[in-house]
Amino acid sequence: MTVEDQVRDIVAKITRVDKSIITRQSTFKEIKADSLDVVQALVAVEETFGIEIPDEEAQKFQNFGDFVSYVESRVAQEEKV
Amino acid sequence: MVQNGRIRVAVDAMGGDYAPGEIVKGAVLAARKNDVEIFLVGTATILEKELAKCKLTNGSSIHVVGASDVIKENESPVDVIRRKPNCSVAIAAKMVKSGEADALLSAGSTAAAAISAIQFMGMVDGVYRPALVGSLGSFAPNTVMVDLGANVDCKPHQFLTFAVAGSVYAKKFLNITDPKVALLSTGSEESKGSDAVREAYSLLKNSGLNFVGNIEGSDILNGKANVIVCDGFVGNVILKFYESIGGYAQVWIVRKLKKYPPLRALVRLLFKGLFPATKISNETEKHGGGILWGIDGVVKIAHGASRAPQIANAIESAKEAVKAGVVESLKSELAKFNQGGKL
Repeated sequence: MTVEDQVRDIVAKITRVDKSIITRQSTFKEIKADSLDVVQALVAVEETFGIEIPDEEAQKFQNFGDFVSYVESRVAQEEKV
Repeated sequence: MVQNGRIRVAVDAMGGDYAPGEIVKGAVLAARKNDVEIFLVGTATILEKELAKCKLTNGSSIHVVGASDVIKENESPVDVIRRKPNCSVAIAAKMVKSGEADALLSAGSTAAAAISAIQFMGMVDGVYRPALVGSLGSFAPNTVMVDLGANVDCKPHQFLTFAVAGSVYAKKFLNITDPKVALLSTGSEESKGSDAVREAYSLLKNSGLNFVGNIEGSDILNGKANVIVCDGFVGNVILKFYESIGGYAQVWIVRKLKKYPPLRALVRLLFKGLFPATKISNETEKHGGGILWGIDGVVKIAHGASRAPQIANAIESAKEAVKAGVVESLKSELAKFNQGGKL
């Protein structure tokens, strides 16, 4: 399972939307995620991948794709270490 | 679950307009009944000082649990999860999750308590977000309303879980066998209301609950429904308006009787002795707030302005909710809907 699939599963579970509608272009607003959904998703992703996502980075996420790209880059960094 | 026959309540001692002083006094009042174990969660040094001011007859039933953080009024409740996982309300929630306590009580920010409970205690299967359920009491003793303020914006499927929670409440606490469920809207027709309400109508119609359709504001008190379902924005506005009616009605009647002094005096006496304003349309005084339904554990939310007697009532009510097994009942009702794929 790719990082993107795992993040999509987490977001779909928390927001209770069908994961097929979550594309890399989807904004959190489009998938009807409120601020609590977003924070819960961040915490779940942090726990799943053993990473920490600083608030200043999280605030830059414009859509699901930005979120996934950030997690992918952090996971790659962790693997190198 | 229960220790020495006592239900254990973790109290967020730092939350509330009069915290921690009135919270501690309320805990001491509740502890005098000697059938509850209370954990006051917050800044230990402050709580111990407050506790020292109170005359404890059975000191062993109150314990102080230290918390390194407190949620301040101007802080975002969502930050609880990431920035302050060791604040008083979060620690209290974790105590219930770990089995150290049977119930959580907070008079602090409802949102912070709800978010802590969601994150650290978890939700019952099939529930997206918790809701506040409460009885309307005096004018409509067989009617409960849900949500009373936990969810300002709701997705359609949430209305269905609200209806299930309200039905469990009506069965457990009002002894109504087959509660009539209605959706609060701007008209009785299926086509009335917001998009979410209209979608919720068809979910409720096919739910298997005793759904009687939409009701309007004028039907709230007439008994057409035992469970009135609405979003938390509407529910909270109605609740606060409802709670204020008693006091204003009394003032209005006394003013109207200005020309009839003997009658006025009699009415004043009646209101003071038999029908105090707070008892006319304010049941939360008696129960000390509402239960947050949908969390995997008992979470009691008290009014922010609660003083010691209301806190003691809220502790008592949390204890009763644990005894009544409200969470287990909700789980078993929701399981039927989960099996049918309706949630």
